[in-house]
Amino acid sequence: MIEAEYVAPSNLGELFKSIEGRAERVKFVAGCTNVLPDLRAQNPAPMLLVDLTGIEELRRIEENNGVISIGSLATMTELAASEIIRTHGPILASAARALGNPLTRNRATIGGNIADASPAADTAPPLLALEATIHTEGASHAKREIPVEEFFIGPNQTVLNQGELITRITFPIPKDPSASSHIKFGLRNAMAISVVSVAVVLEMQGNLCHRARIALGSVAPKPIRAYLTEKELEGRKITEEVLESCAEVVKKEISPITDIRASAQYREHVTGVLLKRALWQAAREGENSTNGNI
Amino acid sequence: MKKDPKDQLSNYEYQFIGKPVPRHDAWDKVFGRTKYADDFDMPGMLFGKVLRSSYPAAKILSIDTSGAEKMPGVAAVLTAKDVPNNETVTRFGQTHQVGGFEGLYRVLADKKVRFMGEAVALVAAETEEIAEEALARIKVEYEQLPGVFDPLEAMNPDAYQVGEGDSNIICNYQVRKGDVKEGFSRSHVVVENTYRVPFVEHAFLEPESGIAWIDDSEIITIRVSTQVIEHFRDVADVLGIPHNKVRVIAPMVGGGFGSKEDITVETFLALLTWKTGKPVKMTWTREGSIISSSKRHPYVMKYKTGATRDGKLMAMEAQLISDAGAHVYLSPWVLLYSTVDATGPYDIPNVKVDSYTVLTNNTFTSANRGFGAPQVCFAYESQMDELARRLSLSPLEIRKRNYLRKGDALATGRVLEYGVETEKTAIKALEALGEPSMPSSPTEKIGQGLASGMMSYGRMTFLHDTSRSYVGIELDGSVTVRCGVQDIGGGQASSLASIAAEILGVPMEEIKVFIGDTALTPIAGTTTATRMLYMSGNATLKAATEVKKSLLPKAAEMLEASPEDLVFRDKKVFVRGAPARAIPLADVVKACAADGVQLYNVAQFNAPFRELIDFKTGQGQVFPDFTFGSHAVEVAVDTETGKVRVLKLVACYDVGQAINPLSAEGQIEGGALYGLGYALTEEVILDKGITLTPSFSEYLVPTSVDAPHVKTIMLESRDGAGPFGAKGIGEPSCNSIAPAVANAVANAIGARILDLPLTPEKILRSLQKL
Repeated sequence: MIEAEYVAPSNLGELFKSIEGRAERVKFVAGCTNVLPDLRAQNPAPMLLVDLTGIEELRRIEENNGVISIGSLATMTELAASEIIRTHGPILASAARALGNPLTRNRATIGGNIADASPAADTAPPLLALEATIHTEGASHAKREIPVEEFFIGPNQTVLNQGELITRITFPIPKDPSASSHIKFGLRNAMAISVVSVAVVLEMQGNLCHRARIALGSVAPKPIRAYLTEKELEGRKITEEVLESCAEVVKKEISPITDIRASAQYREHVTGVLLKRALWQAAREGENSTNGNI
Repeated sequence: MKKDPKDQLSNYEYQFIGKPVPRHDAWDKVFGRTKYADDFDMPGMLFGKVLRSSYPAAKILSIDTSGAEKMPGVAAVLTAKDVPNNETVTRFGQTHQVGGFEGLYRVLADKKVRFMGEAVALVAAETEEIAEEALARIKVEYEQLPGVFDPLEAMNPDAYQVGEGDSNIICNYQVRKGDVKEGFSRSHVVVENTYRVPFVEHAFLEPESGIAWIDDSEIITIRVSTQVIEHFRDVADVLGIPHNKVRVIAPMVGGGFGSKEDITVETFLALLTWKTGKPVKMTWTREGSIISSSKRHPYVMKYKTGATRDGKLMAMEAQLISDAGAHVYLSPWVLLYSTVDATGPYDIPNVKVDSYTVLTNNTFTSANRGFGAPQVCFAYESQMDELARRLSLSPLEIRKRNYLRKGDALATGRVLEYGVETEKTAIKALEALGEPSMPSSPTEKIGQGLASGMMSYGRMTFLHDTSRSYVGIELDGSVTVRCGVQDIGGGQASSLASIAAEILGVPMEEIKVFIGDTALTPIAGTTTATRMLYMSGNATLKAATEVKKSLLPKAAEMLEASPEDLVFRDKKVFVRGAPARAIPLADVVKACAADGVQLYNVAQFNAPFRELIDFKTGQGQVFPDFTFGSHAVEVAVDTETGKVRVLKLVACYDVGQAINPLSAEGQIEGGALYGLGYALTEEVILDKGITLTPSFSEYLVPTSVDAPHVKTIMLESRDGAGPFGAKGIGEPSCNSIAPAVANAVANAIGARILDLPLTPEKILRSLQKL
């Protein structure tokens, strides 16, 4: 049986007032696409459910001085449709479109997807590749800015303290000329938990990859950046040969498990394949956007 | 014995039969007005819940319910000791007991549990939450037993015994025709393979659900989502009360696919309402449903098939082993279907089939759309393509040289006396598939595949199947049909309306069909075995024809014409060739009523009655008739990830006569997608009896964006045993899709996968990339 007290604050001031002294019992809820099934399955201790959906200030998607800011309540549908995201973070729009089904996307929020911290969280690889920052606010208005690569600790574990809320997520607009790509690989075309997902952002200088940011989902206990692979790529031209060596290096950075969806061995193989495809797609996109200068 | 379908109607064109009309219940479903089982509440009702076993194999040492009973809001807690007749022996057949393979069932577990989903205790409480909490407070002490989870291991004489008998092997059938040794020696090519198919979930939208109450004449009434209202007898037997004190009502069912053929919530509801005197509702969660309801049988199938250089099949030897799970249920009959269908729609001079179904501590298996036919179809159609490849013949050519034709005999000796158009369906399916598409990348391979299948419609003839239907005409000319069918979404009720409309010349909207009520509608048998149109359609046709016959003399008198010259159409009676000479049907009815003419008829249709076949040779008649057809598929295989995309899918089946082509097309499209999941993604994974795929997040049914466009081609031979020459299409429509996909994948990548589903991982392994 779920025993809970319920509050629905309409702004952050009200929110922190209502949870004062009770932070350890707080469960923040918005879209409820993870929370409700989890609670039904867990038979949890009595809690304080804090409904965030009335807090308008957490909804905004905006651009300020080269930084994109996404309120934690932005839904997948909103992200996928947002002109700002489609222009400056198309890999995030792509991941939002690939999550669940239309019903889920209408409810699921980016804050919830990150806070749930599934190793397969769809928005995590794009946010990692975009070097996003997670902005939080806790009791007595203590604010933190956490780089997304430090945010996840393990499966369903983050650095968030009890009663600490994700307010927004920011990322700098990638420097021009840049190119990006995102691939989610699941066992069906919708409503699938990814077997592997890849997001890459490349900053190009002429035909060289000046800087690479590569992120992967479902191949480690948490969504990860592939730093060694990035090093392998940086300063080089994107050729078949370079892609092959990236596909080899990336296997050293991941630690996939065997589960009902796939074996570790399969995930390892497909990570290489998808990485090559993502890099190739990004390089081709870069090529087009710089009129064939690569 | 076979009638010319044209005799059933005088020689005019059909007015309703074969015309695409939206079903009478379609808009109600679209707008959410249809009241399914869970949509029905009663004042003061309680909520029922089931406590299920914590282990797949264990002894129950003790059950302490005192903690649950003490909870405020708990009205009843029941265990085996509270059930009047907890132990029942299920036999088969509602009307004719054939004996053999009797399974011991306990309504609630006693002494021993056999699988994880087994019901141990029941609770009824004022809210669902209290009922859930009460389950948590029931203390069951178990002693874990080793169990056995692999049917091949379970066949071993010293294996762990799942039940209380002395063998895990439930039954064994044999088919013997000719001499396979001789056949293989005369074969130029012999292909030998072992195929495996997995447990599959039915995945209906509506989980098991119902509500029960005691009415004001003390009748235990159960309104339940079921394919078989006739379980009222089993429920009465458990309670130890007369059969006529239990009434079962089936509202529109949100999908059955075979899993609602066995009892689901009925007995639990009856016990709880009988104990508390209050209405009780029970709806299983999706997880509860997947863990505890029946599954499609996994099979291990060893096939050896030989052919001459010209591709003529000479011999086939098959060993089939199915995992029955923890209880017998319908496993022997599913196995018999597989055994009879094991050769596929091919004429093979020498055949040897040995089949076994075996108890394990896995979730029990029972009916699932296709009832044993799709498993063997995957094997025999994979074999056909392998033979074709070895002989450098096209898949179509080798099949054409071996298809059974009307008048030929199956390996069981049964002569096919109705239409057999398999070859035509294969040709048309391939034609519609067209030229292969171009690959979209250098790592993609395109492949095309064909598979043909046969599956029976109508129940096994030794069950002596019958159905009844009431057709009555009202004084205003409107028509009432009463028939105890369960409508599981296939248009079972609507097709009866079409038949009555056709015979009596009354528009569809003036036909009312009352269905699924053991107290008010004549018993029509189960909505299973693709039998409803065949059986109840024929009964309704017969009843409507009798009603028409009883009106004819009066109408002839009123129109001053001969009865043979009268036509019933548009709620009028006409004289053929003289359309101006017409009178309203209502006037005829009123005149008949005044003369005391009977305005209704209750007709019974009996399928052919045969006796049990010889299980040592398989010789005899098991089924009334078969439906034949083919699927053709084009796939694109990503050779780096192993992912399969289905680019084209053509389904071509001979439906005999489509009563309503929209409904028949719906069945064929639904069947194709049902089979597509079987081919590519669906598998209930069990680890030592524990379900690892208990929700739709792990159990992967194709979504709308996984579904290719299904091109349906309906052949109408008008040569089936159903009304107007119809054949059954509900189950056969999913039969040959999985092997068509497997054949297309093999064609694309040049390697054959012997296990379903064809996951990306298996494909990469067969390409030796892992």
